[in-house]
Amino acid sequence: MSVDNAILKELYRRMLLVRFMEETHARLLQEGKIQLMGHFGTGQEAVAIGVTGPLRNEDILFGTHRGVGEFIGKGMSPRDIWLEYMGKKDSPCHGKGGLHLCDRKSNIPGLVATLGSDFSIAVGTALASKMQKTPQVTLYFVGEGTCNQADAHPSMCMAALWKLPVVFAVCTNQFCELSYMCDHYPTNDVAPRAAAYDIPFNIVDGQDIETTYEATRMAVEHARNGNGPYLVEYKTFRMATHFSGDPGTYVNRDELEEWRKKDPIDLCRKKILERGILSEAEDGGLREQVQAEVDSAVSAALVAPDPSVEDLFTEVYSGEGVIA
Amino acid sequence: MSRTITFSQALNEAMAEEMRRDPHVFVMGEDVRVSPFGQTAGLVNEFGEERVVNTPIAENAITGAAMGAAMNGLRPVLELMFMDFTMLAMDQLCNNLGQWRYITGGQYPIPLTIRTACGAGMRMGYGHSQCLESQLIQAPGLIIVEPSTPYDAKGLLKAAIRSDDPVIVVESKKLIFGAVEGEVPDEEYTLPFGEAVIRKPGKDATVVAVGFMCYEALGAAQELAQEGIDIEVIDLRSIVPMDKETIFGSVEKTGRLITVEEGRIRGGLGAEISALAVSEYFGLLKAPVQRVAAPMVPIGGSPVLEDLYLPNKDTIVRAVRRTL
Repeated sequence: MSVDNAILKELYRRMLLVRFMEETHARLLQEGKIQLMGHFGTGQEAVAIGVTGPLRNEDILFGTHRGVGEFIGKGMSPRDIWLEYMGKKDSPCHGKGGLHLCDRKSNIPGLVATLGSDFSIAVGTALASKMQKTPQVTLYFVGEGTCNQADAHPSMCMAALWKLPVVFAVCTNQFCELSYMCDHYPTNDVAPRAAAYDIPFNIVDGQDIETTYEATRMAVEHARNGNGPYLVEYKTFRMATHFSGDPGTYVNRDELEEWRKKDPIDLCRKKILERGILSEAEDGGLREQVQAEVDSAVSAALVAPDPSVEDLFTEVYSGEGVIA
Repeated sequence: MSRTITFSQALNEAMAEEMRRDPHVFVMGEDVRVSPFGQTAGLVNEFGEERVVNTPIAENAITGAAMGAAMNGLRPVLELMFMDFTMLAMDQLCNNLGQWRYITGGQYPIPLTIRTACGAGMRMGYGHSQCLESQLIQAPGLIIVEPSTPYDAKGLLKAAIRSDDPVIVVESKKLIFGAVEGEVPDEEYTLPFGEAVIRKPGKDATVVAVGFMCYEALGAAQELAQEGIDIEVIDLRSIVPMDKETIFGSVEKTGRLITVEEGRIRGGLGAEISALAVSEYFGLLKAPVQRVAAPMVPIGGSPVLEDLYLPNKDTIVRAVRRTL
C-alpha cells in the first residue's frame, strides 16, 4: 500500500506534531506549568493520524483520552488544544472541557469521561446523518480496553441493524490502562466481535502510516457509500505509560525495546527519505518548524486569561444562569 | 373551543403535532411502533418507520444514541418504558446528558426529550413500579417535569420537544392506565417549565404534591373540608426548575407545609422542599414540615404490601393533622 507523496508528507508532519505536542506536555508537567496530567499515545501516532487522515471536515470524530493524535488529525489546532488543556477562557469549551476536548469547527462533539459511553453516542450521530441524508461519516476511535464496555454490543448492533455510516476504529495498543490486554481478553483480537453483527472488519498493522491510512480510507468509503458500518482494528504498542504519573512497573522492557525499533515516525521518515519526498536537511527544517508551532501555541496559551466566577454559572442551560 | 381527551391521548397528540410541525422531531424507544401503554400508538401510521424507530432493549445505549442524534441536528423523543429502567441509563442521564452543554462550552446543546412511565399500583412488582424522580434531581443541566392532567401533559411535552435543553417527562402510569380525562383547547399551546399550579386554594396548610399524588391530595382536601380544615393543594408540574415562589407564597399564608410524593422518603423531593423552607423561611413555619412519601422498602408483589407501601389520601390527612 502506498499513498500519494503529498499526502504522506502531510501525514508525517501531523505525526511529528502529535509527538512534539505530547513531549511538550510532559515537559510542561515537569516544569509545573500545566496541571492536567497526560495520557500519552507515544508509538501510536500512525494509528491516530491514519484513522483521521481520510476524513472530511464534515465527518464526525469521537476520540479517546490517549493523547492529542486524533484531535490533531481531525484538524483541531495546537492553540485550541493548549487553551483547553490549561483551562483557559478562550478555549473552544471556555475552560470547561479540560482533558475532554471538543471542537465544533472540526466536528468533534466532545470526549466522554466514562469510557465507552460514546460508543452509542457515535451511533446516534450516524443515525442523524442517515436520517438527514447527508454524506457525513462518524468515526468512533476507541481503545481495546474500552471495547469491553457493555454498550459496545448494542452500539454495534444498532449500527448494523440500521446500516449506519459509522466506522469503528479500534486501537489495540496491548494495554488496558495498567494491565496487559491478555489480562482483559481471552482472545488476541477485538475485531472478530464485529462478525457477530454482520459488520465487516479488518485487522491491520498500526505502525505503518500508509497501511492505517488506506485501511481507514476503504472503511470510510464503505460507510459513506451507504453500505453500513465497518470495523478496523489497528495493532500497535503503547510506548508511554497509562498516565504521566504512572512509572509503568508492569511493562516488559525487552518488549518495549523491540517495539521502539518499529517507531511509526521513524518508519515513515525512512520512506520519506527513500522516496526523495524530503532530504535529511529538509526533514530537520520541518521538525524545527513543527516544534516552533507547538512552542508558540504554548506561549500564547500560558498567558491567556482564565475563566472567572461568572463563567462558573454559564452554559448550563440554553437560558441564563443555573437552576438551583 | 376545547375537547376532552385522556392523559395518554394528550401525550400522543403532543408528539404528533410536533412531528408535523418540525421534520427534525422523531420518536425512538423500545416497542414505540406498537406502544405497550399507548402513548406512541399510531404514530408509525402517519410518520412511517423512519421517524418512529424501534430500538433494541439496551437503555443506556439507546439513550446515548438519542443524545448523539440530538447533537447532530435532530430532536429525538426517546421513550424509556418504565422509570425503573432509567437506572440502566444513569451513566448517560447523570454523567453526560445534562453536562454536555457545559463541558463543551455551549458548542453542543442536546435538545432531547425523554419520556418515562412511573408509579405503582399496577401489581407489576418491585422493578416496574418505582417513582425515582429524586435519583435524577442531583444531575445538573436537566429539566424534569411531571404532569398530572391531559392539559399539562400536552403543553409540557410540546414545550419539552421545542426546548434546547434535555427534558425528562415523567408520566404516571395511574394516569395512563386509569385513562384520566381532561380538557385541552383545540388551538395550539405550550406550557412554561417551572410554574406550579394551585389546584385548590386554602388557608390552613400547604400541601405540595406532584403527579398522581395531586389526586390523593385533593381527596385529602375534601375529607378535611368536612371537618372545616381548608388546605391549599399545589401541583408542582415541574420538578426542575421548581416553582419556589408559589410554594413560598402559600406557606406565607398558611404557615404549614406538607410535601407529598410517591417516591421514597430518604433524600426525596420532600427533603429538598423541606430544606428550602427551613433554610429560607423558617420563621414562617408554625409547625414542623411533614413529608408524605413511600417508606424505605422495596415494592412487594402482594397487592396488600403494594397498597401499604403507597402514600394515599389517608396518610396525607394524618400528616396535615400533625401540623395543626
